Amino acid sequence: MNHWFKSGKPWIWLTAGAVSISLIAVIGLLLMIAWRGLSFFWPAPIHEMEVQTPAGATTVLIGERYETEEIPVSRLNESGVFLEDYDSPVLQRYLIKVGNREYVPLDFTWVLEPSIVSDTTPKDLAVIERSKDGNFYGYPVDVLENGESVLSSQSNLREVLFERIERAVEFNEQAMDLQNDEISTINYQIEQLRLERRRLQLEGKLTAAEQDRIESEQAQLRADYMEIEKELFALRDQASRDAVVMRDMRGEEVTLPMYRVLDVTFPNDMNIFQKWGHFFVQVAKFVSEDPREANTEGGVFPAIFGTVFMVLLMSVLVTPFGVIAAVYLHEYAGKNIVTRVIRIAVINLAGVPSIVYGVFGLGFFVYMVGGTLDQIFYPESLPTPTFGTPGVLWSAITLAILTLPVVIVSTEEGLSRIPSTLREGSLALGATKAETIWRIILPMASPAIMTGLILAVARAAGEVAPLMLVGVVKSAPMLPVDGNFPYLHVDRKFMHLGFHIYDVGFQSPNVEAARPLVYATSFLLVTVIVGLNLTAIGVRNHLREKYRSLEH
Amino acid sequence: MISVTPTSSTAEALDLENLTSEQTAMEIRDLNLHYGDVQALFDVSMKIPKNRVTAFIGPSGCGKSTLLRCINRMNDLVEICRTSGEIILHEKNIYDKDVDAAALRRQVGMVFQRPNPFPKSIYENVVYGMRLQGVNDRRVLDEVVERSLKGAALWEEVKDRLGDTAFSLSGGQQQRLVIARAIAVEPEVLLLDEPTSALDPISTLTIEELITELKSKYTVVIVTHNMQQAARVSDQTAFMYMGKLIEYADTNTLFTTPEKKQTEDYITGRYG
Repeated sequence: MNHWFKSGKPWIWLTAGAVSISLIAVIGLLLMIAWRGLSFFWPAPIHEMEVQTPAGATTVLIGERYETEEIPVSRLNESGVFLEDYDSPVLQRYLIKVGNREYVPLDFTWVLEPSIVSDTTPKDLAVIERSKDGNFYGYPVDVLENGESVLSSQSNLREVLFERIERAVEFNEQAMDLQNDEISTINYQIEQLRLERRRLQLEGKLTAAEQDRIESEQAQLRADYMEIEKELFALRDQASRDAVVMRDMRGEEVTLPMYRVLDVTFPNDMNIFQKWGHFFVQVAKFVSEDPREANTEGGVFPAIFGTVFMVLLMSVLVTPFGVIAAVYLHEYAGKNIVTRVIRIAVINLAGVPSIVYGVFGLGFFVYMVGGTLDQIFYPESLPTPTFGTPGVLWSAITLAILTLPVVIVSTEEGLSRIPSTLREGSLALGATKAETIWRIILPMASPAIMTGLILAVARAAGEVAPLMLVGVVKSAPMLPVDGNFPYLHVDRKFMHLGFHIYDVGFQSPNVEAARPLVYATSFLLVTVIVGLNLTAIGVRNHLREKYRSLEH
Repeated sequence: MISVTPTSSTAEALDLENLTSEQTAMEIRDLNLHYGDVQALFDVSMKIPKNRVTAFIGPSGCGKSTLLRCINRMNDLVEICRTSGEIILHEKNIYDKDVDAAALRRQVGMVFQRPNPFPKSIYENVVYGMRLQGVNDRRVLDEVVERSLKGAALWEEVKDRLGDTAFSLSGGQQQRLVIARAIAVEPEVLLLDEPTSALDPISTLTIEELITELKSKYTVVIVTHNMQQAARVSDQTAFMYMGKLIEYADTNTLFTTPEKKQTEDYITGRYG
């Protein structure tokens, strides 16, 4: 034994074990959130079950089996439920998502395994995805046009249904486009005119002629708006022409207006390829669509966009600033106690809790800097703040300060790794120190700068706490980039994947429905961060190859 | 005495004490240098003749590299370094306050012990100094590249791959590239700080031949550990010891009939 210890083998086992545990932890985490998140998009079979109620009657449940849990019988007994003819100490219970939120009191319900009388998955069961009130489960019975059935004896119900849904979805999309493009542009222009008028008023230049001009332009815009609104209503009428009649689990027939229907699927009647196809379509919808129903349904596109946009803005701000600071500290500052103290202070800044930066950002950037900017440049829109309110710019700046130490430290490290012979070589050719830094040192330090940026991005993309104070919101009506001049609206609030996870998971009215979204969004956040990092690593490797100095 | 026989000194010996101003490239007068509290050079005075090769020899730590680095003020980069005395170039002390060190280094180029090409292409390495002076005309630069690489005896080897990174060259080629880079800006004086100590014998030979050719256009000052090398390439040699210039004479004279006992001991290998 003693010999074994002396041989050093335990040490190898210990170190290897530490690495293995870390690896397992990382891979396990990724697999877990990927599995939980992605399985949400898989078309689950819909069960039709006959269930015995404690009173002895049977009811029918239609829905997806959402979760399976094993519970001890004793716990059931304590809660006042007694099962006859059941010997095993534990039993299974299922969480069934029954949907149909407006017709049943709870769209999730627990079912005890022994109380299930029969369990089938009929091929005709459909799940209808709706823009309001969540999914609807049931049997399609009829398709209506202006209240009249359009089914004839030869026509296939499903074909007619698909066709009508497609039509309604198309009109809905046209209406959305109209709303998002034309109408939002007109609203924007009307607002700009109002601000212009107010500005002229404040400056005392509002002449009668100006006033007339603004009023006539406003009238013109309003007239345009009325035109487009008519078009919009026409589209909506078109979309709501049809309806689908469904028989739900209570056995009642329910008429669902078509303009609220987004998609219909028959998961029990899909083969494996159709299921995969459906899966990918659902994933694509998740990453490309806007959220619905207080974020518990629909996609997360604005959150992805907000996260990436904010991180890019932060990178653009933090890199030049950090690099310049590092160059001064390493190249110009005297090598004395003051420089050392400054360097230690910078490194310690990285240890300040991020919420503190959020508080600082709110107090300094939002209220002081933003408030001052508003008074100087946007007096016409006061008391409504423009920059004096949380926004994506302030978030990016706050995170830039948060990640500044990382960039400074790794840039300095890169600068100190450059062989002094290269500096001397450049100086000996008549270069000044500034020319040497600009032409030789900085290009050679660029891989280290990229390393700093990678660390900064990794930290910033996952940061949520400070953002809640300086710009993130639950739901932003507009993206920070759009078609209205000046195209980049850094004063706007934005959505963020990290905050989205928190919001969906903890602030949601429907916890059960939101849980898979929490996993899916987490997985997406990790994917986005990994994607950003891989891009930066790719750039860094390219630079490294380019500036690879001979290892002496 | 004589393990070392001078071979190259075809140029006739000059009277180093009494050079005329036309014959002098640079003159060092009473140069003292301190690193913090340590004095590294003691009252060095010498005249460096134009278009000839001057070698500094001496044991490690004798101050020969320090002296060389004084000539183009590379010692300015060392914070704790102080100098007194004068180094005259064109009748002006290069340590005067109004002298721009960068401009001086364009006139007095330097090549270091290890090849230090920049992480750029061969072409960009050679034109680096020209670009610093604001020359960006492609035709001018092409000419400079060809002239400098020919001057450094490297043109034939690299003319087809000027766009390749300089690190693709061998050590000896890199050192010639660095020499080409230094002569691209047409300095008057070229300082070589042990230019062959990191190279193999064949590359060393090539560089030595190159040095002999360079003196037709430039004044060359070379620091070397290697006495044979000093004997082969230089016209006059300065022997330094403990920061003092012990003896400075025509290479032939110094190696065959040294005046000082210390010089004799060193070149016969009794210490060093």
